[in-house]
Parts: sequence; C-alpha cells; structure tokens
Amino acid sequence: MKITPQWSRRNFLKTASAATLSALAASFPRAVISAEALTEKIKATADTVIVLWMGGGMAHTETFDPKRYTPFEKGMAPDSFLSTFPSIPTAVDGIQFTEGLEKMAAVMDRGTLIRTYTAGDLGFILHSRHQFHWHTGYAPPQTVAAPHLGAVIARTLGPLNPAVPAFINIGQRFDNGEGEELKAFTTAGFLGSEYGPLNIPFPDQATDTVRPPGGMTPGRFEDRNKFYKKLLAASPVGEHGSDYQKESLLRSLDNAHRLLSSPAAKAFDLSLEPLDSIRKYVPSYEPAQRFTAERDRFGAKYEDQMVGRFGLGCLLARRLTEVGARYIEVTTEYIPFFNWDTHENGHSRLVAMKKQIDAPIAQLVLDLEARGLLSRTLIVLASEFSRDAMIEGKPDKLIKDQVEIPIKVEDPKHYGMHRHFTDAGSVLLYGGGMKHGHLHGLTADERPCKTIKDRVIIEDLHASIYRAVGISPKLAYEIEKRPFYTTRDGLGKPVMDLFA
Amino acid sequence: MTVNLCPVKSPCSHWLFVLLLAAGASALAALTPEQVAQLPPPATHPLNFSQEIKPIFEASCVKCHGRSRANGGFRIDSRATLLKGGDTGPALVVGKSAESLLVELVTCMDPDNVMPKKGTKLTREQVGVLRAWIDQGAVWDANITFARAEPANLKTRRPDLPKNRTKDANPIDRLLEPYFVANKIKPLKPVDDRTYARRVYLDVIGLLPPPEALEAFVADSSKDKRRQLVRRLLADQEGYALHWLSFWNDMLRNDYQGTGYIDGGRKQITQWLFSSLETNKPYNQFVAELVNPTPESEGFVKGIVWRGVVNASQTPAMQAAQGVSQVFMGVNLKCASCHDSFVNDWTLADAYGLAGVYADGPLEMVHCDKPTGKIAAPKFIYAQLGELATSTNKAVRLQHLAQLITERQDGRLSRTLVNRLWQKFFGRGLVEPLDDMEHLAWNPDLLDWLAEDFADHGYDVKHLIEVMLTSRAYQLPTTPATEQVGSDFVFHGPQVRRLSAEQFRDAVGALTGVWYGSPATKFLRADGSTNHFTATRAALVAADPLQLALGRPNREQVLTSRASAATTLQALELTNGAELAGVLASGAEKAMVVPAPANDVVTQLYAKALGRKPTRAEAQLATSLVGQPIQKNGVEDLLWGLTMMPEFQLIY
Repeated sequence: MKITPQWSRRNFLKTASAATLSALAASFPRAVISAEALTEKIKATADTVIVLWMGGGMAHTETFDPKRYTPFEKGMAPDSFLSTFPSIPTAVDGIQFTEGLEKMAAVMDRGTLIRTYTAGDLGFILHSRHQFHWHTGYAPPQTVAAPHLGAVIARTLGPLNPAVPAFINIGQRFDNGEGEELKAFTTAGFLGSEYGPLNIPFPDQATDTVRPPGGMTPGRFEDRNKFYKKLLAASPVGEHGSDYQKESLLRSLDNAHRLLSSPAAKAFDLSLEPLDSIRKYVPSYEPAQRFTAERDRFGAKYEDQMVGRFGLGCLLARRLTEVGARYIEVTTEYIPFFNWDTHENGHSRLVAMKKQIDAPIAQLVLDLEARGLLSRTLIVLASEFSRDAMIEGKPDKLIKDQVEIPIKVEDPKHYGMHRHFTDAGSVLLYGGGMKHGHLHGLTADERPCKTIKDRVIIEDLHASIYRAVGISPKLAYEIEKRPFYTTRDGLGKPVMDLFA
Repeated sequence: MTVNLCPVKSPCSHWLFVLLLAAGASALAALTPEQVAQLPPPATHPLNFSQEIKPIFEASCVKCHGRSRANGGFRIDSRATLLKGGDTGPALVVGKSAESLLVELVTCMDPDNVMPKKGTKLTREQVGVLRAWIDQGAVWDANITFARAEPANLKTRRPDLPKNRTKDANPIDRLLEPYFVANKIKPLKPVDDRTYARRVYLDVIGLLPPPEALEAFVADSSKDKRRQLVRRLLADQEGYALHWLSFWNDMLRNDYQGTGYIDGGRKQITQWLFSSLETNKPYNQFVAELVNPTPESEGFVKGIVWRGVVNASQTPAMQAAQGVSQVFMGVNLKCASCHDSFVNDWTLADAYGLAGVYADGPLEMVHCDKPTGKIAAPKFIYAQLGELATSTNKAVRLQHLAQLITERQDGRLSRTLVNRLWQKFFGRGLVEPLDDMEHLAWNPDLLDWLAEDFADHGYDVKHLIEVMLTSRAYQLPTTPATEQVGSDFVFHGPQVRRLSAEQFRDAVGALTGVWYGSPATKFLRADGSTNHFTATRAALVAADPLQLALGRPNREQVLTSRASAATTLQALELTNGAELAGVLASGAEKAMVVPAPANDVVTQLYAKALGRKPTRAEAQLATSLVGQPIQKNGVEDLLWGLTMMPEFQLIY
C-alpha cells in the first residue's frame, strides 16, 4: 500500500494545528455567533450541572408544593384531596414541603424552589415526548436530530477535566416500553457523537465503563496498549500515510486510554467510598450490593429491588463532580407505570419514591457544600410534568383522560395523583449562583392547583441553566445552513429572579 | 466612511425572529417640501446600473423582493415589476426621485416604515446614487434580473466525451483529462492490486477481501482483471444487498426499531428495500415506488408520527415533502416548511405545494406556527418538469408526482444519485453539500455525462457503480480527507475514508468468524428462502452500542452521509466496550479449538485483517504476543491490536 509522498505526516502536521484536528474530529457543526450572543457578556456562575431527573411525572402537591391534606377515608370523593401528605416546615420560613422529605426540607436554605414550571402543550401525554421536550427544548419530531441539554453544554464548554467525559447519564436503561423514544433525545443529535452521553445505567457498576474490559487485569490492559503502540510503529503504513482520519483515530484511542488509566477513573468506583458515607446516601446499603434486577426486570418487584439505586447515582454524581465532570444527569429511571409514573397507588408509591430521593439529594447538597463545590455546581431537580387526581392536561386545555377515576374512593389504590397535569410543577435548584432559601412562583391553593404568578416555561428554564454556565440562550449551531438555537428560536429568557 | 441614515435599533435581526410579513399597507403621503429638502441630493454623474445600482439592490432589497419573493406584493425581478410597485402603489416615478416612494422609504422619513426592514440600511451616498438613477430615467440593463434563477442541474445535458489517446479509456478519465491539464495535475499511478481489491470489496459488498480470493486476484495476469473483479462483486446479490441496505436505511429513515413503532406511528419498508436491492431494481422504478408507494414501501412517505400535537412543519405530509425532495432531488425544504427560506430560494408556498400532494385534504399554510388562512395548491417544486395534475384524488396526484420525478427529462434525479455514489466512493461529492444540488459541480461535464449514461442504461445502479469503480480516477492513491468544501476544491484522487460501523463489525466478523445471532426481522430472499444468509451481518440486526458508537445513526431523520471522524466515546467503546470485547474473546476461543502454530495464526490473521503478510518486525512482535503454543489472551490481544490499526479501520 503506497501513500502519495506529498501528503506525508510531517507535511500534514505542519499545516494542521491541534485545533484544526480537533475541529475536524468534532464532526463539524459550527456555532453561529449571533450579534446578541457576542454583545451579551455572560459571567458563568457554575462550572458543572447536575440534573436530578424525576422521570414519570412528579406531582407538585405531593412533594414540594403542599396543598390541603385530606387523609384517606373509605368512600371519600376523588376530588376531596389536594395532597395525600401533610405539610412539613423547611429551613426557610414560608416554604413547606410534604411529609417524607424531611432531609431535603432541612437544606432548603441552600436552594431555590420554582413552583410554577409549566410543561409544554403537546396535545397528548406521552411521557417520553415530554421528556424529549424537556431535555432538548424542542417537541419531536424535528427535521434535524435535536441535541440533549447535556450535549449542548458539552459541545459549547467542553470537558471541565479532559480525562472525564463531559456528559454522563446515570440510571436509565433503554430497553423498556418507550426505550426508543428515550434514545431519541439522549443523544448529541446533529452535534456529533463526541458530545453524546456516557450512559451508566447502574451506578454501582459505573466502574465497568472506565476499566479494562471484563476479565482483563490492569497489567494485561497496559501490556495490550504497549503492544499496540509497537505494532503501530512496526506497520509499514505507520509513519507514512497521514491524514486527519488517521490522526483522529489515534488521538481518540489515546484519549480513551488516558481516561481509562487516569486517576479520575477512580471516581467511578463506588467501592472506594467508605461505608458510612455511602449509607448517608443509601441508609439500607449493604457492602457490594448490586442493582441488576435481571431476575425481575421491570416486573412487580422492580421498585423494591431498585431501592438505593438513585441514591448511589447521587453519590456517583458527587464523586464525578469532584474530579471535574461537566454535565451529569441522575434519573430515578423512567419505566412506564413505575417510579413517579403513578397510575394507581399514588400515595403509597410516593412514600417509597420520597424515601429513594430524600436522603441522597440532601446529602449531595451538603457534601458539595462541605467540599466548597456547591457554589460552582448547579443542581436542578425536575420532572416532565406534574400530576393531579382529577385533571388531565391543563384546566383550559384538557386532553383525553388516561386514568379512570372512580366516583367514590373505596380502595387505597385510588388515593393519589394519577392523572397528568401540566399547568404547574416544582423545580428545585441548588448552588451554581442561585439564591439561597428562595421561592419563585405561586400556585392556586384550590383545584386546579395551577400557576397563578411567575410562570416558568422550558425555554426560560433552559435559558437560566445556560446562563448559569455562561451560555447565551441565543447561541445557535449551524446545521444544514440554518441556525439551531440552544433555546427554541433563541426565545428563552433567563429567570433573573432565581439568581443570587 | 459610510454613515447610516437611520438609527439602528438592533444590529441585525434574527433570521427566525423576523416574520417576513408585509408592512402595514397604508398608502404613504407625499413628502412635504421640508422633507424633500432633507433628502440626500442626487449624485451628479451619469449612473451605471450594473456597477452602482445592482449592488445596492442585491445588498438591501433582493432578499425580500427578489428571486420570486414578493413581500408587500412588491418584486424587483425586473424594471417592469419595480415600476409596478407593491401593495402601497408604484415604487417610483421615473425622472422624479423626490416623488418616488422608494426614495421615501429608504431615507427613513417615517421611522416606523423604513426599508430595508432587515439588513443594511442605505447610506446618504447610496440614496444619492439611487435618486440620480431614477432622475436619469431608471435605465435597467436588460441582461440583469433578480428573478429566481433557472435551477441548476435540472435539465438533462449530454456533454461530448473529449478525444483521448487511449480509445478504450473510461469515460470518467476522458472527462478528467482536460481537468487535470487545466489544474496542472499529473495523475499518479494507480494503486496496487491489494489496495484496489480492498477498496472495491468494501465499496461493493462491504466486506474485506477473503485471503484466497485476494491472492488469486493478485496472481491473475489478465488485463481487465479489475473490471472482472468489480463485475464478480456486483453479481454477488447477497453481499451487494446487505452492504447497500445500510446506505438506504439511513437515507430512507428505515430501521428495525426506533420511535413511532410503539404505537403504529411508523412503518418499516425493510422487505421492500431488501428485495429492491437484491434484484437491482432500476432506480427510476425504485424512486417511483417510494414516491407513490405500495403498502410495502409506504413507510418512507408516511413519516414518523408521535402521539399529540405536531408542529406544522413536521406533519406527515410535510415530512413526505421534505424527504422526497431531499433524498431524490437534493433539495432542502426544511427551512421553507416554516417560512420562506433564508438560505435558498425556496418559499413556504413551495414546501406546502409539495406537502399538499401528500395531504389527505386541503392543506392550510402555517407560517412559523401561525396559520395563514391560505390553502396551498398542490404542486411540484420544479414547474420546469411539468405541471402537476390538479386532482382532488390523492392517488392521482401521487401517481403523477412519481411520473414527473422519474421521467427521463428529469436530470436532477439521476445527478443526485450519481453525486451521492461519487461521494461514497471518493469521499467528497461532485456537488457539495450533497443535499443542495443547486450548487454547481466541480466538474459539471463529469456529473452530467454520468447522469445521462446512468439514465441511458435504464437507471441501472450497478452499471453506474461499475463505471466509477473501474475508472482510473478511482484507482488513484488516496489524498487526506479535509474539511475543504469551498469552491477552491481540486480533485487529486479519492479521499481516505473510514470503515462504517457496519463495515467494521463485518470485518471483525470475517476476522474472528463471530457474527451476529439472527436477523432482526424476516428477510424473504429472491429464491424464496427466509433469512438464509451466509452470515448474519451488521445491517441485518438492530444497532448495538458498538454500531451506535461507530456512527450508525438512530434513523429518526433522513441522513445522507455519516460523520466519519473518530471520537473519544467511540474509542472508549472500542477499548473496553462489552460487545467488541465479547466478539474478540469468542474469536480467540475459536482459534484455541485446534491450536495452530503461532506463526500460522499470525500469518492468517494478517491476511484476513490487512490483506498482506506481516513484515518481519510485525511477525516477531505478534508471535511473541500470541505465545508458543498459542495462548487465548495473546490471540485476543492481537485481534484487538489489529482491529485498532489505522490500516484496518481506514480505506486507503
């Protein structure tokens, strides 16, 4: 195989700077620098974003926006309860949560609570479609593959630590009912796979993604790489042919090897965390506990077997933040009819969900604070929409009911929020330049418990997150010669009331 | 130094923010004498239209009033349309610039009604020039028009083949000879047999050449053995179909899993596509069956439907319009699906016209999510190819649309495919970008000749492939791939390419003997058998993490070319991903069943992976790694090392 002499490696390297190479490797989409984006100098208040995803639809009146509590009573009217939990005080006067969130209530003085997040009007409730909308800012389908929030941040800011992938997605599998729909937005889209997620479905096995393939000792792994380098040097093509294809291939392999052998890789290994520290996130944790649930994948025992999985995800998020991850998402995992997707037994299942999230989220906030990282880390807790016992959609835009509500509630399984509600929802923010102990937005105290004041829509929530990390909501990437904005049509406006 | 007449509120409006709606159509009052006195004085020299006026129109007017755009009912295509004016009356009074509406509008007399609405405002000097031109009679050079240009690459054209010293030379080379001379390029010698064989195997059937076949080919002393090889490969129906299946799956957005299938919002066309490729269906028929589909092929124009309200620019009818125009005609209607495009001449009415063909009833135009109240008349985007039958019967419209697109006089259909194949084989299209066939080719004769030849041969795709792969141009040594897409591109030879995800996985399959389990769906073969394949290749199964990491797209949108640069996440998948590690481990186990001497194992693996013998240094390294007798771990690590070689992953 002969290579044209005029394209020798030396010549190529002379003309191609490292920047060119990385630009080439980055598969091309360029930022359209809009005049606004240039003139608007945004000072970042956060370096890292952690999204805590309550997949399936978290009812606001059952969590962070308590309304009138009515205990279960056989024969009660289905519209007689607004909350199925009593309210509890938080560390901030005037802000109440519901019972079961005591630990988070205690750290509310570190947070900002939005009670008026309003999900898009997509005409029909399909969880994955609303999740697509939440994560990309665009409703599917789209003419080009829309990038995930994490991918936009990864593309725009790059990794914080080059040895840690910029976009890490913890806790979601893609082989369930709406898995394909989830895949459609858990992607860098047209930005190119360089900015896509490193998926870690099971946090306890995170270390598998960054260590030598199964069964290979670190020693052999090192030797394999040394052998490869020698083989490369011995190859007759080795030093001749040079082009960006080859350079980008070799560079990517070097990057991967650097990641796999870097000290940062240890952050993925939860077994290095002291037991008492893990138990602050997952009180029931037993050493070497595994969360594969292969015996009963998404069946009746699914939720029992997953206890602690989200907690470990939060712990992993903390460890990854410490070594310089850029964007991390931890999900309670969206599986149709599981976790927050309560179509029945809403009350009892929320008792369990709160148990899943209360300790680890509070601990994540405290740990990051203790390490001096909270001020530069923006934590965002959110869900695709909220729930109500009676209303499907919005009071003024009702859609087809998906859950039948009995005339009288005789069975506790009908006690809870089983319909999908989009006119209000709670989002919690901590750190990263947000106010401390602040409440944004007001919802009605009687059904419909909808937004009354200071509505926040996805474009504005995204603009706020982008602003925190120093990205203009009007930034656009060019695809097929047209601008694709980080917020839809560049319309997002940061909610300045959230910022300290 | 130029001074703008008007205070600028925002430096440059956002493309998408600004609605291209006409200004309020109230007629304007004549200027008062005081206002006339404020007007910049007319220039005093004789005006030259093409040098002084044309640039002003181009910079400030044409975007909204030229190229068939008619905002405010006003078009400046020609002198006549300019004089006629728009909704607010005649634009100018010839000889009297101070009374001309045009002058009034560009001088900012009414701050709420200033032209241009977008883009650069006129300077005082420019207004002076414009006034002088009007005063001097508004003379217009009849050769100049701002109307929509004749579409490029649409009409068929048959260039003559230049005379050539070797009379049996491939037409591509005869066409390129003057090109090389003009660009002072001395074409290098064709690549050697091994390099050539590896290219054509991968390009025709997507597999590496098997060592025995490769050696036989190298040893063959017949003169036209390269053509014979290409023909043999093209005759391999299974290999050909399974390789091109991925190309068309990307393009036609077809896959075994994906969004929409969950609730009937999407339909596969897998069997239709596979059979079409296996039998080498003529391309015009192939396209006609997609444009005007049967139940087997309707998945493409049915689009992907998610439950709920869908943005007007993504209704199934609009998806069909976008897909048909992009894939077959190399036209991007996506911008125009929301508003008149800012990057090309397509308008909302064009996009809705084509969508209207696919709509079940009258289709209302929606401008950036706002209904306009106007019904789009079904039409095809190129009236030059004929008027579409106006019928309320969708079946009649579709039948006629398929006919218009696939008629012999449509030179765009053939050029678009020629260009796509050229890009696939040479790394860069004759026209770039691939989906913008309004651009000129870097060698129009080459594009036009190949397109005509393709149509002359009954739209036989295999014929077209044979012409390309037997050309000397294809046999030139590779040049490095670059991002060079500008007009300064000069063709030196094919670019270095990277194996696609499917090619890589199939190459590893051939190297290890480890393939996928069973196909994702039923494939009925032409011989009546079902799922009867030599091996379960990557194209037959749903994408796994390895294929996804290597760039196989989730086929949610039409995708006409894949990014080929390596990324860190890919490398991570290659370095420690479970899929590849599993395949290599199984491959090593197979080698251990009847362990051969280390030398033989090394020689065989080099032959399979790289199509050559190891050098002495390589053989030494590799045998010491696999051990004597061979060790499973050693074989496995050698397999990994070989598959990570640029020589393995790239096509030189």
